[in-house]
Amino acid sequence: MAKVAITLQVNGESHEVLLEPRKLLSDALREELRLTGTHVGCEHGVCGACTVLLDGRPVRSCLLFAVQVEGQEVTTIEGLRRNGLTPLQRALHEEHGLQCGFCTPGIVLTFEAWLRDHPEPSEAEIRNALSGNLCRCTGYQNIVRAIAKAAAEGRT
Amino acid sequence: MTEASSFQVLGRPLPRREDYRLLTGSGCYLDDLEIPGALHACFVRSPHAHARIRAIVTEAAREAPGVVAVVTGRDLAEWTMPLRMAPPIEGLQPTETATLPQDKVRFQGDLVACVVARDRYFAEDAAELVEVDYEELPAVTSIDAALAAGAALVDEALPSNLVAHQHAVHGDPQARFERAHRVVEARFAQARQTHVPIETRGCAAVWDEGRQHLTFHVGTQVPHPLRTQLAARLKLKESQVSVISPDVGGGFGQKIALYREELTVAALARQLKRPIRWREDRMENLIAASHAREDVVRTRTAVTAEGTLLGLELEIREDFGAYCFFPANYLARVVAMILTGPYRIQDYAYDIKVALTNKCGAGPMRAPMAITSWVMEGTMDAIARALGLDPAEVRRRNMLKSADLPYEMPTGERLEDVTPAETLEAALQAIGYDGFRSRQTEARQSGRHLGIGICTVVESTTYGSAFYKAAGIPGSGHESAWVRIEPSGAVNASAGTMSTGQGYETAFAQAVAEGLGVDPAEVTIQLGSTDISPYGMGNRGSRGATAAGGVLYLAACAARDKALAIAAHRLGLNSTESLRLRAGVVEREIGGEWEASDLTLAGLARVAYLDPLSLPEGMEPGFEVHRAYDPPPMTYSNATHVCEVELDPETGLVQILRYVVAEDCGTVLHPQLVEGQQHGAVAMGIGGALYEGLVFDAQGQILTATLGDYLVPTACEVPVIEIVPMHTPNRRTPAGIKGMAEGGVMGALGAVGNAVNDALAAFAVTAERQPFTPDLIRGLARQGRQDG
Repeated sequence: MAKVAITLQVNGESHEVLLEPRKLLSDALREELRLTGTHVGCEHGVCGACTVLLDGRPVRSCLLFAVQVEGQEVTTIEGLRRNGLTPLQRALHEEHGLQCGFCTPGIVLTFEAWLRDHPEPSEAEIRNALSGNLCRCTGYQNIVRAIAKAAAEGRT
Repeated sequence: MTEASSFQVLGRPLPRREDYRLLTGSGCYLDDLEIPGALHACFVRSPHAHARIRAIVTEAAREAPGVVAVVTGRDLAEWTMPLRMAPPIEGLQPTETATLPQDKVRFQGDLVACVVARDRYFAEDAAELVEVDYEELPAVTSIDAALAAGAALVDEALPSNLVAHQHAVHGDPQARFERAHRVVEARFAQARQTHVPIETRGCAAVWDEGRQHLTFHVGTQVPHPLRTQLAARLKLKESQVSVISPDVGGGFGQKIALYREELTVAALARQLKRPIRWREDRMENLIAASHAREDVVRTRTAVTAEGTLLGLELEIREDFGAYCFFPANYLARVVAMILTGPYRIQDYAYDIKVALTNKCGAGPMRAPMAITSWVMEGTMDAIARALGLDPAEVRRRNMLKSADLPYEMPTGERLEDVTPAETLEAALQAIGYDGFRSRQTEARQSGRHLGIGICTVVESTTYGSAFYKAAGIPGSGHESAWVRIEPSGAVNASAGTMSTGQGYETAFAQAVAEGLGVDPAEVTIQLGSTDISPYGMGNRGSRGATAAGGVLYLAACAARDKALAIAAHRLGLNSTESLRLRAGVVEREIGGEWEASDLTLAGLARVAYLDPLSLPEGMEPGFEVHRAYDPPPMTYSNATHVCEVELDPETGLVQILRYVVAEDCGTVLHPQLVEGQQHGAVAMGIGGALYEGLVFDAQGQILTATLGDYLVPTACEVPVIEIVPMHTPNRRTPAGIKGMAEGGVMGALGAVGNAVNDALAAFAVTAERQPFTPDLIRGLARQGRQDG
């Protein structure tokens, strides 16, 4: 398959890449840009581990081709690094909201966006939103607690 | 907790060391490793559950773009040794498994060929071009079919599909049954499940032709045992192989065995003299990695009119799948050995039959003995129902009290330092058990169906070598560690195990800091490399805290002893009795008060490395300690889980309203990490009880090959888990550690199972096969209504 040249706008930087049109966004981020914080858990859109932000909205990077996102801004977990941990990342740390950590970047990005739209979520709302991200280690309880804590901190 | 409270560092919820890198996306999992020039492997898998391979045509694949090699079982047979599984266990058939099959495939997803190409996309394209001529054979897809006369043979080298059969009688159960007031029968079954780590399997092999050395990167729970296997099967010396595990995205027992794919990739890297990597996709993980738990179990109990247990018989039938990557008796045998758990009973018999079928091979999954507690506690509920007694009362009547300990189970397993009766009462109180029946009656009047389930768990956590020997399983239960005080006073330590998310870098630093007498922030734990770590048995069972935490604590205590000996010598003391190390400073007891001296661990380390002539006579220079530790035959934790459910007979939906765990897991290294393990284990147990099941059709085709079909619990299905900590130390282990992390699965299968059946009792029906899906529950409720 012939490669095409595209420009990916990721974490505020422009990257010229040459890739096959069939290359998944998740693979392009990981292999072309070496942004390996985006994890690939199922490649069929269920587990949520590969979630990134596209113009600020969470998307599953395993369900998009890289060529589809030209002209849009992609934010990966590495894009949050600039000012130390975010309140959500800090809350996940304090509440022991991660164990193996493989699902964590997807959860962080999903809720960085979600908390902006839902500043005062109930526990049931958090659980409902979190049901798009599978975690096999934590039983979710401490993730839910951390999200609620980050939301409360965001309000103060 | 009186003893535990004397610890300085153990039991404190310190910030987890691993978190920063994992939260910021700078962790390094297998697929994140940058390996210049690495080729990618993709496997051709069988579409049939059972078929003869007539021919494999690889020419088109070899000519496809980017392809470097296509190999089949014939090539691998030249380069590698088969896996021989033949421990000398009575009733266990020896098996031999080739690296890649040559003559026939035994399950859908079985391996046929391997394509190596420049990238994963090319490798997958070319795998499609490999043409295999199959002759389909009848598929054996159930235990009954496997054991039926004239069944097709899954392994043609064996006389039948019965790969393991074990039977034992302890005491005289027959006599008990003859004199019983009542004989109660109960049945339990679990669907086939799989581990579903969110990171699938994968590996990367780098062959150094100059040094004739293989570096094998793999997310594994057991770096050293994996190296032993890998070297032997590649016909290399163990010194020619390094196994290095990066961060691991979950294991749950799936990352223990040396898989055929991994061996193939390693062999190919050596043959092609080029680095090769492989990562399976989720479908491969679900259909072909490792499966677990497909058991059918029956109990018969002889009881008095008051519900006292007199005799017990257990029958287990297990579907082990097509290949033995573990001894086939291993999982069921542990269930049989510890079944009676917290109960006073001596007359007991068991019979285990394990069958080969045309499904993916089975292996241990977080709590390989998971079904134990549901079986025993479901049996207690069946007795209560049969006799019209309160299930809590039946348990109390038979449960071991502290005065009964130590207690030898009928199988010879010794229980001591456990508190089942205490956790039972605490859990019942926490959930408000006494008021439940009136709540249940009231709810029923308004058309709601509530149920309560109790499950007391005695969790086998840490297997010592003596247990393996008694169970007829080859293996050692020891773990080893080193602690090094560097010339600067920095502390490095390592053990042979590997973390798959448990937070070992944090908790083990605490064990070392406690033993040594330093601030845990000064301790760095190095895990996962066979070149750095001492040989250990790895992360399996719930042995991390007791075996690895324990041996690190012992090694650190020995390092502390050396530090204090140097200090005594410098202070002109004859003994170290009046000295201790606290936060890296030597303290001296003078007149009943501890006072800081001007000696520090860093200062003592400088002497040990740079001025060894000033050491006490006969002391070795340098500052390194190595220790190995073999735990007691078996260490037990215990807990009681109680949960309240509501079921909707119209839709079959089961909702968990409350979930309580009262747990005693000994000295706790880090309470937050322990709680995290409890939550995760309970969630996996809820999955098994209500949602998870691999489904096969009559031809052995798997119908649950995506995460949309194989349902692991989401945040909406797992309730808030209320934990009542009741930890008491074990007197035989270092620092009183007991270990934990699997009991939550056992407890949830039982508590949820029993609660659903308590609610179904109104319909006079019992659910016997997990997962209790809406279809099953609705069907049972309808059947009950029609019968009633």
